[in-house]
Amino acid sequence: MPNPILLSGNEAIAEGALEAGAHFASAYPGTPSTEILETLSRRGGIRSEWAPNEKVAYEAAYGASLGGARALVSMKHVGVNVAADPLFSSSYSGVNAGLVLVSADDPAMHSSQNEQDNRQLARAAKIPVLEPSDSQEAKDFTLRAFEISEQFDTPVMLRVTTRICHSMSPVETERDRNWPKAPLRDYDRDFRKHVLLPANARPRHVFVERRMEELEEYANGERDLNRIEWGDRTVGVITGGVAYQYVREALPDASVLKLGMPHPLPRDLVREFADGVDEIYVVEELDPFIETQVRALGIPAVGKDLFPLTGELNPDLVERGFQLSGNGDLSASDRSENGGPAPSLPVRPPVLCAGCGHRGVFYTLSKLGLIVTGDIGCYTLGALRPLESMDACLCMGASIGMAHGMEAALRAAGDERRVVGVIGDSTFMHSGITGLINTVYNGGSSTVLVLDNGTTAMTGHQDHPGTGVTASGEPGGRVDITALCRAIGIRRVRDVDPYDIGALETALDEELSVDEPSVIICRAACRLVDRTPIAPAVHLDIECPGCGTCFELGCPAIDERDGMAVIDPEVCCGCGLCVQVCPFCGLRIEGHDTAGAV
Amino acid sequence: MTGEPSPTRNILLAGVGGHGVLALSRIVAEGALAAGFDVRKSEIHGMSQRGGSVLSEVRYGEDVRSPLIPKTAADVFVSLELLEALRHLHRLRPDGVLLVNDQRITPAPTGSGPVDYPEDAVERLRDAGAGARIVPAHDIAVELGEPRATNMVMLGAFAAMTPEIESAVWTRMIETTFRPALRAVNLAAFQRGLELVVEA
Repeated sequence: MPNPILLSGNEAIAEGALEAGAHFASAYPGTPSTEILETLSRRGGIRSEWAPNEKVAYEAAYGASLGGARALVSMKHVGVNVAADPLFSSSYSGVNAGLVLVSADDPAMHSSQNEQDNRQLARAAKIPVLEPSDSQEAKDFTLRAFEISEQFDTPVMLRVTTRICHSMSPVETERDRNWPKAPLRDYDRDFRKHVLLPANARPRHVFVERRMEELEEYANGERDLNRIEWGDRTVGVITGGVAYQYVREALPDASVLKLGMPHPLPRDLVREFADGVDEIYVVEELDPFIETQVRALGIPAVGKDLFPLTGELNPDLVERGFQLSGNGDLSASDRSENGGPAPSLPVRPPVLCAGCGHRGVFYTLSKLGLIVTGDIGCYTLGALRPLESMDACLCMGASIGMAHGMEAALRAAGDERRVVGVIGDSTFMHSGITGLINTVYNGGSSTVLVLDNGTTAMTGHQDHPGTGVTASGEPGGRVDITALCRAIGIRRVRDVDPYDIGALETALDEELSVDEPSVIICRAACRLVDRTPIAPAVHLDIECPGCGTCFELGCPAIDERDGMAVIDPEVCCGCGLCVQVCPFCGLRIEGHDTAGAV
Repeated sequence: MTGEPSPTRNILLAGVGGHGVLALSRIVAEGALAAGFDVRKSEIHGMSQRGGSVLSEVRYGEDVRSPLIPKTAADVFVSLELLEALRHLHRLRPDGVLLVNDQRITPAPTGSGPVDYPEDAVERLRDAGAGARIVPAHDIAVELGEPRATNMVMLGAFAAMTPEIESAVWTRMIETTFRPALRAVNLAAFQRGLELVVEA
């Protein structure tokens, strides 16, 4: 074996899929899962696709499995909610070639709207879960997941978390090796297995329950997946995932039961471990998934009383938990001589980039005082100061359905305020379009703004059906948003330049005054993709009187020094929004005579 | 100075999104692996290109487990920006080494919370202990004609403080990381950082 190479958990999962000879991969981008499919498409030798959403990605992977090809589908935790319908039923119909679902959970919500624990979803769907603790295991468990899938006729969830996905550790593998493909399995029509009519599904449920029993027997026996590390017998810790690493650091001498396969729980193994130690602790991130099942066996395990239920764990929280239990090393905790974080430092949150096409839209929405239902993407930053122009943001695609329902409620109450939905191009393709069909069908009159920057920006610029470029960078079919809106029955579809505040105001006034649904499309390339300046940098012609109006744009190119505006010519790309809002006409763009005429 | 150095070396790297922190931490981790250590590296991606605070953690040693450094156990803290150095200073061991690029990047006004950039940042960092080094890395990189090489000046400073990894490892990393047109300037930046801290 050559020297180990440093891989992130996501890269390691991709390597595992290639080593397993997978033929097909599908995904919708979502932090922290995105790099899995990106790595596969970069490595090549496997058909890798971006799907418009996670449900379609899962269905495509399931179809590939049914057709006889090993398939991997990856998504962030909330994406599994979108894919839950085919997931739950495919548990009944089973697989042909191996099918692996990667669920990338996000404890601490570094980039998410909730921190659901998808081990719970796997339990509800009655499929097995593998949970790696580092990049080496991420690769090895991916291979193993394909084997389990085929052996037990089940989709398998590989559950990872942000700390596994985005941490790097050494992996024994051959860099850039072209692995042979797994042999394609014959496809045979199987009406009773694959057509889930009630009469067929009933015996399949019986099969699923028997399969879970067999999987538990397997989990009890596979001592490399579920491993007892005997040490000091006074303390026994059951753990898995990244928490295992924190436990090994906090209590290097303790006995540990490391669960690489937490579902179904290997109950015989847990009993054997509990019999061998004096006290049992369970250290797991988020829900007491293992703990409640261990306690149900009559074993007095302690877990969430010591280790937090919310947020992600870290070495300090695990160490403190054990100190509270009386088992930790108390001498290790007197390190903090530098005190806590320094108070009253200015925060540095992410901001919309200088020249971002979303800025003018949110400035205008804020100015008009509209109720705005938002969506998931960079533009969620429009909810923050100073733009503060978003009332709600829930999940992918929700802006349009929420706008429709809110409008109905406000009208019923005689409230004159108007609602607009704001959604990005990739999110519109994901699940915005069904919301818009609902508005048309049910006679709504919402106005929807589609902010089209020609990419899935927030997750790192992935293509989507609206760009017409596939995951492998090849030309693909392109879905035209304007034509799509017209085809479902929206008569009022118009393009508005998002860098023209006057035009945005006019368009919104007009569309909100008519009693039918309308779509305003604001096209401007993402500034991180197209970095060519829009126009020369803005400069100040007069001594800035310090009115502060341009600060309301929240532009990172506009700095405040002693209350006055200073434009950073390195950062400014000449979008001209500040020129339009400056009431003193002190801001100019070289070569443009009239303010705003950019 | 208190206690023995921990068997695992804990390196904290901070900066502002889009300014080279993640590229620097990647080289530090790859270099430690090339030098024969077990390595873990962790950071949060997501919005890192959009000007937010970025923090990366690298650990290397005989047998490293957690990808995260215990809260206040950083042996070396490299910051590419003054305010970000103050923000995470409490995570440095009392006898740890602090290396800070002498550059201020003003956060975009958020309209909430404190807004004034701490004018006394350099003094506060110097007061942090004998191990504090304020490095004019950005100035050096500008002088070399490549402001983006600031992080490689800091790598040089880091290399001077971490003798357990030979400087030949770092130059090899720079040669394999950068495309040919950028190698010379990044190597020069590394060398300047190395000499600067050795002399200090």
